[in-house]
Amino acid sequence: MTQDELFAKIQAQFPKIEKAANPVKDYLTIRLPSKGDLLSVSLWLKNNGFDYLDMLTGTDYLGPVDMKGYIRQQNFNVFLPDGATPEIESAANPAYAYKPVIDLLWSFVSIREKARVIVKLELPRDAASVPSLAGLFKAADWQERETFDLLGVTYEGHPNLTKILTPDFLQGHPLRKDYAHVKDRFDE
Amino acid sequence: MNNATAAPIDNETVGGVQTDQMFINMGPQHPSTHGVLRIGLTVEGEVIVKAIPDIGYLHRGTEKLAEVRNFHHCVVLTDRWDYVSAMPNNLVFCLSAEKLMGLKIPPRADALRVIMCELNRVASHLLFFGTYGIDTGAFTPFLYAFREREMVLDLFEMLCGARLTYNYIRLGGVMIDTTPEWLTRLKEFVEYFKPRLDEYDTLLSFNPIFMARTKNVGCLTAAEAVNWGLSGPNLRASGVDYDVRKHDPYCGYENYAFEVPLGENGSCWDRYFCRVREMRQSIKIIEQALSKLPEGPTMAMGVAKIPKPAPGEAYAHVEASRGELGIYLVSDGGISPFRMHVRAPSFVNLAMLQEKLVGMKVADVIAVLGSIDIVLGEVDR
Amino acid sequence: MSEASEEKKDAPASNGAPAPAAAPAPAPAAAPVPAAVGAPAAAPAPAAAAPKPAPKPAKAPLPDPVLNRKNGRLLEDRFATWPQPIFDSKWQRPSYRQGAVMLAGIFVGLAVLGIAVGELSKWADLFYHWLGSPLPKFLLFGAPGFWQLSPLAVDAIWIAIKVLIVLHVILINGLWSIWWERKISAHIQSRVGPTYAGSPKGMNWHGWAQTAIDGIKLLLKEDITPVAADGPVHALAPAIVVIPCVIAFAPVLFGKELAAASLDIGTLYIFAFAGITVFGVVMAGWGSGNKYSLLGGLRAAAQIVSYELPRGFSVVPVLMFAGSLDLSVIVKAQAGYWGGIIPRWFVFYPVVGQIAFAIFLIASIAETNRVPFDIPEAESELVGGFHTEYSGMKWSIFFLTEYGYVLLGSFLLATFFLGGGSSPINLPPFTLIPSWLWMLGKAMLMMFTFLWVRWTLPRFRVDQLMDFCWKFLLPWSFANVVVAGVYLALWLK
Repeated sequence: MTQDELFAKIQAQFPKIEKAANPVKDYLTIRLPSKGDLLSVSLWLKNNGFDYLDMLTGTDYLGPVDMKGYIRQQNFNVFLPDGATPEIESAANPAYAYKPVIDLLWSFVSIREKARVIVKLELPRDAASVPSLAGLFKAADWQERETFDLLGVTYEGHPNLTKILTPDFLQGHPLRKDYAHVKDRFDE
Repeated sequence: MNNATAAPIDNETVGGVQTDQMFINMGPQHPSTHGVLRIGLTVEGEVIVKAIPDIGYLHRGTEKLAEVRNFHHCVVLTDRWDYVSAMPNNLVFCLSAEKLMGLKIPPRADALRVIMCELNRVASHLLFFGTYGIDTGAFTPFLYAFREREMVLDLFEMLCGARLTYNYIRLGGVMIDTTPEWLTRLKEFVEYFKPRLDEYDTLLSFNPIFMARTKNVGCLTAAEAVNWGLSGPNLRASGVDYDVRKHDPYCGYENYAFEVPLGENGSCWDRYFCRVREMRQSIKIIEQALSKLPEGPTMAMGVAKIPKPAPGEAYAHVEASRGELGIYLVSDGGISPFRMHVRAPSFVNLAMLQEKLVGMKVADVIAVLGSIDIVLGEVDR
Repeated sequence: MSEASEEKKDAPASNGAPAPAAAPAPAPAAAPVPAAVGAPAAAPAPAAAAPKPAPKPAKAPLPDPVLNRKNGRLLEDRFATWPQPIFDSKWQRPSYRQGAVMLAGIFVGLAVLGIAVGELSKWADLFYHWLGSPLPKFLLFGAPGFWQLSPLAVDAIWIAIKVLIVLHVILINGLWSIWWERKISAHIQSRVGPTYAGSPKGMNWHGWAQTAIDGIKLLLKEDITPVAADGPVHALAPAIVVIPCVIAFAPVLFGKELAAASLDIGTLYIFAFAGITVFGVVMAGWGSGNKYSLLGGLRAAAQIVSYELPRGFSVVPVLMFAGSLDLSVIVKAQAGYWGGIIPRWFVFYPVVGQIAFAIFLIASIAETNRVPFDIPEAESELVGGFHTEYSGMKWSIFFLTEYGYVLLGSFLLATFFLGGGSSPINLPPFTLIPSWLWMLGKAMLMMFTFLWVRWTLPRFRVDQLMDFCWKFLLPWSFANVVVAGVYLALWLK
């Protein structure tokens, strides 16, 4: 099944779905119109062979990453004198259109048909909340917790939406672009 | 992390006898949690009532670190996830970054990547074989496995100078070409290694006690395994034929003839034996790659010193030693990845423990945990 | 090394070309025998078989390069240690020859020692009579006159001496068997084990002093009692573990009639005291204040109590055949040879003997908490089981006990099934070897079996362990008793 055939099949079921403007290279990428469609689309995918939830994650498109989010000094070359020009700096690309959204991504695989569908959904940064897929795919359980922990996306209906990777005392969600590190008991 | 606190202990009275449940912290310091995994176990006698895996002790935030490093530097970060088999980590990052940049890899580099990844798979599975022996109480297989693993690491060291964190596969190809002497050594190793696999089967695979410990323990049906998103030998042990090398070939894997070993009922023994058989297939792939190793450069032309790929998104995945290792990479046109997400097989494989351990014995926890073969560096990233 | 260099000199000094087939020694074509590029090659070649080579050439400054050669080329990189066909056969390796010589030396030494101790044992009889003579009382108490010691006092002194000797058997066994286990496990695992401990002067033959030095280390280690531990119980547990082990050795036969105490109920006595140890193990598990220890202690209790049964029932056929619980009677019942060739040991009684032997061996391994039955200390599951929280000498007492029980099991196997101190071959040179040496040899063979099993097999799970005991070993040991009864009724009487 080629990507176009697959897309036609999906669109026959969900006419509002369209191909994503910024697709993941080599894979069929579709964009959901709203978060209400997520559960129905993934249920349909699951019942039509795409029963393997490979990956789910998100991206914060706010802008270049805030250097305050890093604990260590920016210039980690110990041979340079104090106050030297930092070797790492995040810089915005003026040609790129940043926007305050979190772009979520689910990647469904059909093992039988050797096909992959990547589903994307854009959410505003301050109201990043989607239905949880943990009821449909157990694979979503920890990956949603991870995304919640690192990106601050709330998954509604998740059985145990708690931090998983970062320590309890860590404030904020590190993979958000505006994350700034708050000093804790492990900083001098 | 840290939320696996003591579950409410259930004290009940059965037939006039008060029974107590006990909370045991298995890990983070424990001989067989393979690193710093912690499992909060609530046990009733020897039987697990509740199990809460707790991870994050090794979380280094590589995804965040990658956002301020340039693409070449990110390859170094990848070595630190699955430090037992770092070559596929290098490879998957390079594949995704090359997709973003549109690089074309010379055929010799592709073949070398295949050889390296398969060698690393052998080394990683050997480590699994040895430690799984220890987990089930047999110490001797460990040293036999390490004898051979040492030779693989020696091969890596001869070629790229590192034994664990190779940084050998680079954007556009590989770091350095092989020498004829190295290829001779590799052929020697392949010849030496083949009969060793039969030795392992005699020593451990078909040992009645070992089979009693692992057969019909921790079984997963195919549907369950797919639903949990398992990958690699863990998924194939349940009989699901999903191998990225066949499913979505990369580096020219479609040109090699090899089989994908499948298990029957997804028990610990099946997971174990899938890996042992995979070593044989890896050796087969290495032999094929050696027999038709193309000549030519090992690095693509025109790889920038500081690459700035055009804005876009790419996903690449490889069959790493522990399963499907994928990287989702977003570029905003800058010098560093705008976002890197790692689909770490160990992380996804580990999640099933919280449900599958319930009802097992304490000894089975070790058998199941060992059989899914996690590396905590990859779980926590 | 000296023999290696001899070989090298023996081979033709063609540089690089493989040795021709006409070479006197069986030099393989691929063997890297060509002479080293250096002065020693020019030295006259003495015969390889000569016991002492002619004056040794001056020590070369570099290590002998024979092992680092391939195709006549010196491999100087550190990857040269890869397995390469350096020697044609094992016996070309100097270490193999040295090993064989050492092994022969050990046996010859043992035989000499045996004869010497046999002489000494005659002196012991003299000493016993001397104790009863008038002189000792004078020496001990300075009593005037030439009154003799009372027979009771003579026996008391005599028993004290015997107890001291048996106690030291257990202690020295700890030293010896730990070293032996380490060496055997190392060679099973393609390692070499301890090599350096001994003397800085190079008197470190195979790390012979390893256990002694480890023992000193353990003595000097801090003795930690965890805060959560139940202090007195925690401290008492090692004592409760080790004392029954020592007491159980009283009737153990070390040779023909060679025991600290000759008891009519010897077999029962040993089993009874060996069973007490489990109290100490449970106390250790409970008193450590550690959940892993507790689990280990409980597992140990279940396991040892269960395996007492098949262990006891597996020797019932032996007791039926011998008609006594006295160990020396059991040994006497096995004296003689069928047709003058096959020894009448109980292990050679068809079917019954072998089954009883196997069950007793398995149950003995389980009693000593060793792999594949080491679930009470299961390192990969319970960290250390009941001795997780012990350190220093308390911890080493647990190990001393474990090895004591291994020795006890080995001696019992030799006594019950292998004919005690009798020779397996009914020929003069073998029958002349003293009985205690045969006994020791058989016990060491059994101990090797213990170690061999330990380093080969994985571990059972708790429920499988219990199933194996109750559903397999116990029924078979019962059936064995029945068959033994049939033998008694139809064949032996």
